Amino acid sequence: MKRRIFMQGCIAFGATAVILPQVSILEAKEATGLKRVFYVKNSYNLQHENAKAITKLWIPLPLEGTYQSMSDFKFNANATKAYVTDKNAYKARTLYAEWKSGGEKILEVTYTITTYERTSDFSKATASTKYPKAVAHFLKPTAHIPTSGKVKELALQITKEAKTPLDKAKAIYLWVTENMYRDNSVIGCGVGDAGKAIEHNILGGKCTDISSVFVALLRSVGVPSREVFGIRLGKSRFSKACGGSDANGLAKITGAEHCRAEFYIDGLGWVPCDPADVTKVILVEKLTLKDPLVQQVRDYFFGNWEMNWMGYNFGRDFVLAPEPMQKPLNMFGYPYAEVDDEVLDYYAPASFRYSFVSQEKI
Amino acid sequence: MKKIIFFLLPLILFAKEELIIKVEGMHCPLCTTAVKKALKKVEGVETLKVLLETKTAILVAKDGIEDKVYLDAVKTTGYDGVIRSRHHLKD
Repeated sequence: MKRRIFMQGCIAFGATAVILPQVSILEAKEATGLKRVFYVKNSYNLQHENAKAITKLWIPLPLEGTYQSMSDFKFNANATKAYVTDKNAYKARTLYAEWKSGGEKILEVTYTITTYERTSDFSKATASTKYPKAVAHFLKPTAHIPTSGKVKELALQITKEAKTPLDKAKAIYLWVTENMYRDNSVIGCGVGDAGKAIEHNILGGKCTDISSVFVALLRSVGVPSREVFGIRLGKSRFSKACGGSDANGLAKITGAEHCRAEFYIDGLGWVPCDPADVTKVILVEKLTLKDPLVQQVRDYFFGNWEMNWMGYNFGRDFVLAPEPMQKPLNMFGYPYAEVDDEVLDYYAPASFRYSFVSQEKI
Repeated sequence: MKKIIFFLLPLILFAKEELIIKVEGMHCPLCTTAVKKALKKVEGVETLKVLLETKTAILVAKDGIEDKVYLDAVKTTGYDGVIRSRHHLKD
């Protein structure tokens, strides 16, 4: 039997680009919020029947920001090659692995992630709409985030009384959390096709669907906005709907991917937001918008993020590196794999064969 | 005449053609897998590639399969297909 040599790596292995800090001056402020530390393990044992095919795997890694940082990154794989890269349009950190032939395809990734609760001081907001170039990028439409036609029409209607960018963001947040709802029948986090949702009045969805409508509406009235794809790591103080763990802080987080959103306000920088979790609390806790818990969560998730979650990237409708056969990728919140030109079902961890766990340091 | 038929018969029986089917509704990589699985089930399909970038399925199949057979297969994925081209392949 031919055995493969296991290859190991750490953050410095094969990709110096990723050890550079990704924190921009647009969000550079001291991390002061509640600190939480999680040890994360991702395990892969890819399964498919095509023994002669080349198997390629792209794994999203946590972004580096004022509110989260990764340390002790290690991976161990029996791959032909494996390395870290962020050479894509959104600088989405990626661990890439490739297997040239059949047999077991095993990879394990571990790291520690330290997070800080995000808050916002809205008194610092200005009404300026002069945005830095890197921010203005998030005003542009993508295939799933159109900013004209019915999307713009609806956004203008929602924001007709709003005078400042912050007023517009608040009006859109209130509209989304009041009119959209969580539909558990949607697979994964949803496609996030804001154009289709608004065009056909599809108001039910999951986190990517709801966040993408929020983002499209904001962009169409000139407020920079973006989805942040990530995963829940542990217990929420608000509701089991927003994350859970056992009494020892251990959380099985396979399938816990969650998309949040941000918008940009001059004087504040990127403002955290999570309209989708408001709708999830309503569904899971069997409450209405008027219930005190929902009111509390709705107020909180406009300007704050409880950091029992980590963000991966902001990528929408973009091309991974190295370039896959299928492109563009709608979003990169899940591992992505191709066997020659066939895509493994990333929404089905049992058949794809991946599992994630998170242990909070208590 | 019999000789002509004798020589032409294999060409008729084993003739192949290449088709390009546009599937405009595909919006993510997993859609390509669904379309590929559906078209693979069509008897006579020999090679098949589905690409998200061009939203097309390119296939080589036994000659003479009706358009409807391919389009019905695509339809099972929830998307509509349009035959963009089909031409005979020379041996």
